[in-house]
Amino acid sequence: MSTYAVNYLCRELLRDHAFRAAMKADPAGALARHDLTEEERTALLAGDVAKLYRLGVNAFLMGYLPRFEVCGLTMPLYNERIRTCAAEAEREAGA
Amino acid sequence: MAAFGPKGRDRHNGEIRVAKIVGALGVPHTPFFPALVEREGADCSTARLFAAVTRELEAMRPDLLVMFDTDHLNTFFLDNLPIFAVGVGSAFKGPNDEPRAVPIYTIPSRPDVAAHIRRAGVEAGFDLALVQEFTVDHSVVVPLHFMTPRMQIPVIPIFVSGHVPPLPSAQRCFDLGAAVKRAIEGFAEPLRVAVIGNGSFSLEVFGPRIAPGKSDGVPDPAWAERACALIAEGAYDALIAETTPRQLRKAGNVGGEILNWIAMLPSVDGRRPKFVTPQMEQGHAYAAWTWS
Repeated sequence: MSTYAVNYLCRELLRDHAFRAAMKADPAGALARHDLTEEERTALLAGDVAKLYRLGVNAFLMGYLPRFEVCGLTMPLYNERIRTCAAEAEREAGA
Repeated sequence: MAAFGPKGRDRHNGEIRVAKIVGALGVPHTPFFPALVEREGADCSTARLFAAVTRELEAMRPDLLVMFDTDHLNTFFLDNLPIFAVGVGSAFKGPNDEPRAVPIYTIPSRPDVAAHIRRAGVEAGFDLALVQEFTVDHSVVVPLHFMTPRMQIPVIPIFVSGHVPPLPSAQRCFDLGAAVKRAIEGFAEPLRVAVIGNGSFSLEVFGPRIAPGKSDGVPDPAWAERACALIAEGAYDALIAETTPRQLRKAGNVGGEILNWIAMLPSVDGRRPKFVTPQMEQGHAYAAWTWS
């Protein structure tokens, strides 16, 4: 399952401080060794967390992207982007 | 061992020589609370709420804490994700996820009691994963940071998968809690045990239903209020019945943490809590059950 790789590297931001530093300095380079689809790689580098959410990436784990401010993401930007999926998330939850 | 009867009583003098459950707590584990309390001091509402449950815990004089907890993909991950697991080790460290204002603690445990609980649980039909070399995240450590900061009381964590669907059912979690209660009460040492369930009733963290400008939100405050009301009334059967898979989805991406409270509830034997105090802006509560 491909989204596993995205979930995994999100958590690596927490665990591997060298990877965290590399993602801040040169995200494309840091992601090169990860086995991602082009769609995932493009979305990650663009900080397109709505796209990643729709691909099935775990939102809790994506929180490490703004927490450590990688891929151009800050908490306000993350908030704005992930909330564009709010209506579909409500629908899926049956809310 | 031969001196113990089937109910664990010493046949010679009738003295109870098995462990007993002396109280129960429900608490939150919000990772930013330690920094908030450090900033705002002992008079802020979170500090006072934790002080209230800590007073109850201290009055229970426990020798051991058994804590139902949901790991946030730190002890476990998506490559290996047990529905239920028991931490069996002499000690474990945490937090492993860098919440602010929390030191890395070494938390003592009781591997003999933990192994006994796991064995009894498996015999009762619960497929409890074994985890022996592990660290824990803020969800175990934050409540302990407030309640037992000297880490002098051993803790056995029992992990309940509450974040990544499919989740175990509320009834299954309650039944697990009942099996754990029986196991504790069958352990041949007169330990005083407090049982803790931790987590939120309705909360979304980093998901699409977070509040504007925040990293979290309470998607279903009515459910959090309902859960508190049912707990306050001791209406545990109703709580289990209403904690449906659909309700858990509506409650937010970490709303499944209520399953930890539900797993704790058999330990209170149908009693009502001494108090259950909601903290609705976070979709959770603080509660204590005492009886001895």
